Amino acid sequence: MSVHVTIDGRAVEVADGATLLDAARAAGRWVPTLCFDPRQAPFGACRVCLVGVEGSAVPLPACTTPCREGMEVRTEDPTARRVATAVVELVLSELPEPPAAHTELAGIARALEVGEPRWPGATHAVVHEDDHPYLAFRHELCISCGRCVRACDEVQGTFALTAVGRGFDANVAAGIEEGFRHSACVSCGACADTCPTEAIAEMSLLDLASS
Amino acid sequence: MSERFDSTVTTTCGYCGVGCRLEAHVAGGRVAAISPALDGPANAGHTCLKGRFAHQFSRHRARLTSPLIRTDGELRPATWEEALERIVNELTRIKDAHGPDAIAGLASSRATNEDCYAMQRLMRAAVGTNNIDNCSRVCHSPTSFALRKSLGLSGATGTFADFDHADATILIGANPTEGHPVVGARIKQATLRGMQLVTIDPRRIELADYGVLHLSPRPGTNAAVMLGLAHVVLRDGLLDHDFIRTRTQGFEVVEALLADYDPDEVERIAGIPAGDLETAAHIYGEAERASVSWGLGVTEHRYGSEVAQLICNLALMTGNLGRPGAALLPLRGQNNVQGSSDMGALPDTYTAYRSVTDEDVAQSFEAAWGVALSRKVGMKIPEMFDAAVAGSLKAMYIFGEDVAQTDPDTAHVQHALESLEFLVVQEIFENETTRFADVVLPASAFLEKRGTFTNAERRIQLVEPAIEPPGDARTDFDIIATVSRALGHDFGWQDPEDAMREIAALTPHFAGVTYARLGRAGLCWPVAPDGTDAPILYEREFELPGGRARFAALPYREPGDHVDEEFPLILVTGRRLQHYNAGTMTRRTGNVELNDRDVLEIHPDDAARLWISDGDVVSVRSRVGRTEVHAHVTERIERGNVFTTFHFPETGTNLLIGQSADVNTSCPEYKVVAVDVRPIGEQAAKTPALGLVGTG
Repeated sequence: MSVHVTIDGRAVEVADGATLLDAARAAGRWVPTLCFDPRQAPFGACRVCLVGVEGSAVPLPACTTPCREGMEVRTEDPTARRVATAVVELVLSELPEPPAAHTELAGIARALEVGEPRWPGATHAVVHEDDHPYLAFRHELCISCGRCVRACDEVQGTFALTAVGRGFDANVAAGIEEGFRHSACVSCGACADTCPTEAIAEMSLLDLASS
Repeated sequence: MSERFDSTVTTTCGYCGVGCRLEAHVAGGRVAAISPALDGPANAGHTCLKGRFAHQFSRHRARLTSPLIRTDGELRPATWEEALERIVNELTRIKDAHGPDAIAGLASSRATNEDCYAMQRLMRAAVGTNNIDNCSRVCHSPTSFALRKSLGLSGATGTFADFDHADATILIGANPTEGHPVVGARIKQATLRGMQLVTIDPRRIELADYGVLHLSPRPGTNAAVMLGLAHVVLRDGLLDHDFIRTRTQGFEVVEALLADYDPDEVERIAGIPAGDLETAAHIYGEAERASVSWGLGVTEHRYGSEVAQLICNLALMTGNLGRPGAALLPLRGQNNVQGSSDMGALPDTYTAYRSVTDEDVAQSFEAAWGVALSRKVGMKIPEMFDAAVAGSLKAMYIFGEDVAQTDPDTAHVQHALESLEFLVVQEIFENETTRFADVVLPASAFLEKRGTFTNAERRIQLVEPAIEPPGDARTDFDIIATVSRALGHDFGWQDPEDAMREIAALTPHFAGVTYARLGRAGLCWPVAPDGTDAPILYEREFELPGGRARFAALPYREPGDHVDEEFPLILVTGRRLQHYNAGTMTRRTGNVELNDRDVLEIHPDDAARLWISDGDVVSVRSRVGRTEVHAHVTERIERGNVFTTFHFPETGTNLLIGQSADVNTSCPEYKVVAVDVRPIGEQAAKTPALGLVGTG
């Protein structure tokens, strides 16, 4: 079974069950994403992948919205872009320093032309954990996208990482705040691989960046 | 990401038989980081701590960077010219005096297909002997034997994707979350989606916690378990009669044999509850799509090859072959265990398991290589060591295998290596085996070479160099070609791709293999001339006469060792997540910070009885050797059994292993060794004199 949709005026045919994000990518159109990783089930938490859909009063998240026959999608819908840009700006405003240029978050900010955040105020406390030979926590960079937790659950199946804290204090921990080394972590590195900010980073790459 | 790195190369992991596709990122001539390729067929964007992190060994200060030659009893740095001259002089002298069969070579299951193919051509064409083997001898040779006997081809019948499709899987004698972590993760995800997993292992492995049933048979009784499962499948009418009638032969004999293995009898032999055996048989037999996966816990036994045949029986009885999710999936140990044997680095076969005694095949290689080739089957690895001790084998050329650490009965292996007149070792680090070498050749790690590996799915995948070999080290492919040329036989290849062209031209199963077609996704052999590959085997017929699979009527027979008053515990050996085999690579990375020693797992009841506490140093003594190791008291291991690894040479685990081996393939029985364990100092050490052990 396949479904036909139009992305920015271009007709595409996708498999039944495909999402708007799949369709946009099949059509060669860019949609910004932040909490999305193709190795994980769609999560729909960040609202950066919003797109306009004909007939819908509000923009819809591309990563979790299934394609239905005849849908007409605008990836650069002004409302969708305004919301996505604001989301990224708010995320950046909580960080004590901008994310490193090579990170996914920095790339999205550049692509959406998010400049210096307009909202000064509280930023995350700088908390580093370096007890592991390969994996380091930079908790101040955590944006609670959940990708690391889901990588540990859905890709590795070890369930060593947990979302902790609420609201502004939301963050991630290995085990019951035991650190990578003393938790159930098997050091596979899937969390660092998917992290869009280097809140979980490969120790050797932090060394490389500082050298 | 790219601006941080000078280059990024897509290659295939050199750790384990999963065959993860990796992106190696290079900065300043070193590997800076490795990430998984999202499109890797076996790993789909995932990898483990070995593949991702354990790459610093490639620039470790202890890497061999120039040839070494033994002068006045010491290994000293030398030039390549001096090393080659010594090799040519010695091998020529020995060949002239004793004939080519006084020389033997070992290819490596860590090396590429092209390296292994070159090595067997060196031994066969340049030296003139079939004395060529590889380390799959000591791991999965029983699997290869059984699959060829029962089904026709020496390889998994499907791919890891079968775990995603299976309704039920039996996992026996394997610990994938440590030995093959990416497959382990895939099995976990399958169980979380509802696949019924039955684990069978003397240890309560991590995946037992994800399965529906765990069976802990006594080590060495796998055959009884498989016969018992088949008994229940037959008794309770779970047979696929159509499949048996149209696609197999020999079932009647098996049917008669199975009468002897009712669940109560199997409980008596293997010590697993009869009810659990019945449940397991129903889970497998009632599933629409059921697979069996196994590792060295099946093969490294006196009757390992027979157990693998009995696994084939079970799949044939239930028609669980040739369909997605219905597969037999042996988890090959090292990265190229499959390929090193496919390439003919075996004493009895050319490429694709064609016999050296087959006149047509031998003539095709003679025509291609322009030399006369021996029709005499060569020696297997254990036979080489026996012949060295006996004095009939004079020289060995060992490439990429630390036999003095990893092969069984270390004292006997050392005696053999000492007895040789001439030993060449081609390695990336000095190790236990180089201590006996006359010439050491500095070679390359997988991150430094081009070629292909074949994973446990029969998938041939490209290996590309990310960095240069250090110092004067060279690629294995270059070294072997150079040695062969110096011995008067020029391969006539410019690079590994030329070797693959020759392999394809001389091997029907590889006919359609080209580097261009391998691309990013690889190809599962057999590959037809038009490039069509075969992820699923036996969809219509088996690769045996008449297209029919063969049942094997094999009874349970007792393992080679057994407990008695003097040796009351059974030692099983295996692997841990953080280390790879002999540890040559992983011990030289940050992985040692996560795991810095081998330990002996012992059940709390046995530990209490022996006055052993967690962390104590204990003496472990077998019939052939003794060593000391830290105890780890854990309920993961059954009472009566102990478990350890051989990742650290100082442990000397293989001193304890005797010469019992698989009856068909000589694969050592690493998994059943009777031992005495006691706190250190309780009794004077009884160490058999080195060199006398196992020579009788």
